[in-house]
Amino acid sequence: MAAESPTAAGSERGRRDRVWLPVAWVVLSIIGCLLVALVLGPHLPPGAQSTSAASQQYDYRVLATIATPVVVGVLLYLVWAMIFWRQRPGDETDAAPLHGNTKIQTTWIIGTSVIVLFLAAFGTYELIVPAGAGAGEGPQPIWKPAGTTTSSLTSWTPGGSNILQVQVIGQQWAWTYRYPQFGGFETTQLMLPVGQPVQFNVTSLDVIHSFWAYTLGVKADANPGLNNVAYTTPYHTGYFQVRCDELCGIWHGSMYDTGEVLSVPAFLKWTQTSKVQLAAVTKILPPYALTYDPTTIPAGKINQALGLTSAGGGYYNPADPEQP
Amino acid sequence: MSLPARAATLVVAFLAVVAGVIFVAFKFIGAQPSVENYTSYAKAGQVNITLMTTPQTTVTTKPDWVSYFIKNPATGNFDHTTYFEVPADTRVNVTILGYDGCTPLRNPLWGQVAGTIGGTEDVSYFNGKTYSPQAPVKTFDSWANCSVQHTFAIPGLGINVPVASPTTVQENNALCGTSPCTAANQSANAPHAVVTFSFMTPKTGGTYRWQCFVPCGGGYLDGNGGPMGTPGYMMGEMEVQA
Repeated sequence: MAAESPTAAGSERGRRDRVWLPVAWVVLSIIGCLLVALVLGPHLPPGAQSTSAASQQYDYRVLATIATPVVVGVLLYLVWAMIFWRQRPGDETDAAPLHGNTKIQTTWIIGTSVIVLFLAAFGTYELIVPAGAGAGEGPQPIWKPAGTTTSSLTSWTPGGSNILQVQVIGQQWAWTYRYPQFGGFETTQLMLPVGQPVQFNVTSLDVIHSFWAYTLGVKADANPGLNNVAYTTPYHTGYFQVRCDELCGIWHGSMYDTGEVLSVPAFLKWTQTSKVQLAAVTKILPPYALTYDPTTIPAGKINQALGLTSAGGGYYNPADPEQP
Repeated sequence: MSLPARAATLVVAFLAVVAGVIFVAFKFIGAQPSVENYTSYAKAGQVNITLMTTPQTTVTTKPDWVSYFIKNPATGNFDHTTYFEVPADTRVNVTILGYDGCTPLRNPLWGQVAGTIGGTEDVSYFNGKTYSPQAPVKTFDSWANCSVQHTFAIPGLGINVPVASPTTVQENNALCGTSPCTAANQSANAPHAVVTFSFMTPKTGGTYRWQCFVPCGGGYLDGNGGPMGTPGYMMGEMEVQA
């Protein structure tokens, strides 16, 4: 049998690398993209319980699908190198010297530039279109749910343009929620109606917390003295978790509770029941405001006689012997 | 120095450092107050627990910190701890002897009793001489009246109990000066409130943190440092044994 000439063998290897490596990459990338987009995508966090959550899940699907050919390329190249380009026993020759490749470099720069610019445009669009994507937009939000207004803080009707207001109040170490359109009652339960746009007004009574309704795709920092607005519209009834996502003290890890998305009739019934049950404490709450200043409260005579003109806690009172 | 000597020195130094780290971790970081175990004191599905609040903690190195104490069921003494253990699916009858003075609540919502059996707490005031009749209370307005000193809250069970405080300026200026406020310390007769309430423990076991919602760590940021952030003072854990 005639031995294969070195030139023929090199040519065969070159054809294998130039043709079959790209073909393998394209085929595996198509398969990978389809699997990521269609099979993995619907299960990506944070789910699709609300408009903002579904929007975030869609973004992750797009990003993961775009990243798949890159990941496949890197892994395929690694495996290809280990199988075909490994050193053979007895082969002491050097590899071919590298002189650069203008075509590859140009393709790489253009390709990565296009991907990055596309992601910048896509990310900006995805932040604007779903009304801030569930993130806190500060006290004067730019992006609001289409067709909604804040025309009344004293009433709310399902399906109307007047958006449901829910104030989220962080304090060490619990969340409380206030519903100004239902008499201003405050409660430790977070209930929302399905299919209705919600405006969260997030603030804090003490340190910085972060309101994170994970499966609703809502996350907004709770700052003392500041109102941070976030929007969402729940798609499905069911429970969702609320956590604090800003290290806020020793019980930060325990600062969580469970909210629930109810049907609209069930939500309205709950508000009426809560309004009655909490009437006594609602009367002594301060008037509804977007922020609170616990250092100046209208304290009664005995409090003032004792020199207690503000709520418990203070800001580094220099007269106190203990300093942080 | 010979090679074996150098190796031995290195090993000894390494072990000394490890021992130091373990000592610091257990002694300071992992230190936890003692646990008052009430599980064996439950009878007919009920158990009685007594807690005390004091305006200072003279038994510790932080005498100006407010604190809770818990009655030791075996000795009857008040121990400086906020950790206790109770059986599951049991009615817990709690008595809190509130010896501290009043502070307006940062959030008036915590002035409402929640999660107790009957939705109320019973309060009796001791003015230094006599006890007032025990009366049920549902809501305290701590801004309008000098009515709340601390709260006992277990957020995981939806329990919130405002601890009533002495009601007059004179009483608030004549608080217990030595803790715990007992006859042995000649301070049991200082003005105080007696708060009683009951709640049911869950049917399954678990650990439930409890805390005070009055930021009473004077001198610390927002009043939430010091005793508010240190186990054994104004926060603790309830261990429910299944």
